[in-house]
Amino acid sequence: MKKQKPLKLKRRVFRSYLSATVSISLVLFLFGLFGLLVLNADKLSDYVRENIGFTLVLHDDVKEIDVIRLQKILDASEPVKSTRFIDKETAAKQLQEDLGEDFQGFLGFNPLLSSIDVKLYAEYTRPDSIAVLEKEFLKYPQVKEVYYQRDLVNLINENVSKIGLFLIVFSVLLLFIFTSLINNTIRISVYSQRFIINTMQLVGATRGFIRKPFILRSITFGIIGALVSDALLALIFMTYKNEFAGIFKISGYETLGIVFLFVLAMGILISWLSTWFAVNKFLRLRFDELFY
Amino acid sequence: MEDRNIISIRKADIYQREALILANVNLDIEKGSFVYLIGRVGSGKTSLIKTLNAEIPLVNGEVTVAGFKLSDISQREIPFLRRKIGVVFQDFKLLTDRNVHDNLAFVLQATGWKQTKAIEDRIDDMLELVAMRDKLKVMPHELSGGEQQHVVIARALLNDPDVILADEPTGNLDPETSQDLLRIFLELNERGKTIVMATHDYPLVRQFPARTLICEHKQVKESPDNVEEIDFMELLEM
Repeated sequence: MKKQKPLKLKRRVFRSYLSATVSISLVLFLFGLFGLLVLNADKLSDYVRENIGFTLVLHDDVKEIDVIRLQKILDASEPVKSTRFIDKETAAKQLQEDLGEDFQGFLGFNPLLSSIDVKLYAEYTRPDSIAVLEKEFLKYPQVKEVYYQRDLVNLINENVSKIGLFLIVFSVLLLFIFTSLINNTIRISVYSQRFIINTMQLVGATRGFIRKPFILRSITFGIIGALVSDALLALIFMTYKNEFAGIFKISGYETLGIVFLFVLAMGILISWLSTWFAVNKFLRLRFDELFY
Repeated sequence: MEDRNIISIRKADIYQREALILANVNLDIEKGSFVYLIGRVGSGKTSLIKTLNAEIPLVNGEVTVAGFKLSDISQREIPFLRRKIGVVFQDFKLLTDRNVHDNLAFVLQATGWKQTKAIEDRIDDMLELVAMRDKLKVMPHELSGGEQQHVVIARALLNDPDVILADEPTGNLDPETSQDLLRIFLELNERGKTIVMATHDYPLVRQFPARTLICEHKQVKESPDNVEEIDFMELLEM
């Protein structure tokens, strides 16, 4: 009977740390999930932006070698992600399929011109850069006109910035909520030790010496919590990999890595600072103040 | 002259929060002396001891303890003052989350002891002195009041302090254990330690007479030389 006592006590102490770790893990998990969302929302908007197409309509008499040269120049230029040459025949075939009518037979000739479809990198898809690029493209002698959906570009840009703003505000709010949740959990666990902290001071321990084990322990639990939530995130990521495929692409792993490190850093930082402030608070209080 | 006194108090007012507990205290305690501090419950014995330990901030006057001036002591210096004083607390104040050994080890580590062997030897010696070596791995809540008191004395002695402040150390003990405890204090006193002991265990004071200070009517007074002349009955009245 006597032998069981310390064991029971240890188990209870372990359980109280366990519950603190579980709540830290859950909060960090939510945090990581949201971080993943925010980082990929960026990717998603890039994905949408990079699908905005420019069509450079070419003069009818341009030689194939000039077209190839233009395509090469475009491919080498910084804003351009990809180009695709569409000759007259392909364009006619495409239109014929779309219309479901043999317009060439009807007209007796092919009225369409060859063109190059240009896809831009996301950072060059803002309205002002597009306006500059349009002028640049028109300078090439092969180009007859530049065609793109101005309204669509504006609409995308407007909505993406709105969503971006919303996500930033929301994530700052979440960061605040999560930090105070972890902070409270830690404060309660330090509060339960307030008399011990007071006694430690009375027997000649310096404040730094008293703080150290509290901070080390809490950083350990912060790391454990972060690793648990990272593992959960990885599990979710792997499970729904196929569903995410379009959005995440290859850079998904890079994003995941950033989120993992961020969660770990937050786990350490939040538990460190919270413990620091909580222990300091009780170091400053006198014995009779500990009862209120 | 100054050096002979380990504790020196001049014109000190002692407050517990806003309440004035002791006014205009003037007192010298010589190195190596044994002093009783007696008085009714609430007469300011504990407050005086807490002031000497810098637990209660000094408001007015000059107090010097083991070379530290308490009127302008900084927060950083307080731990070092407390290393010069061994305090035996009325309510023990053991670290309830660890066993006897770890309680003592904490104090040694906190006060700069690094070598494991030296720490273990010191703990052994001190527990031997209070006859508690067999309780090394026991948690404080598993000890009786008297046993906890012994551990607290062992803890107070770890850093070989010049002065021991004991706040009602026999308050929770039976007469026999009280006498054992006082014998430990007397033995320490013989080895040159200054002992200040607050108590209202008057039979004990009568049995082992020494210099006695009386806390009464917000004053600390020197008792008559002859202990027999102290009106203990008057002090006992609530």
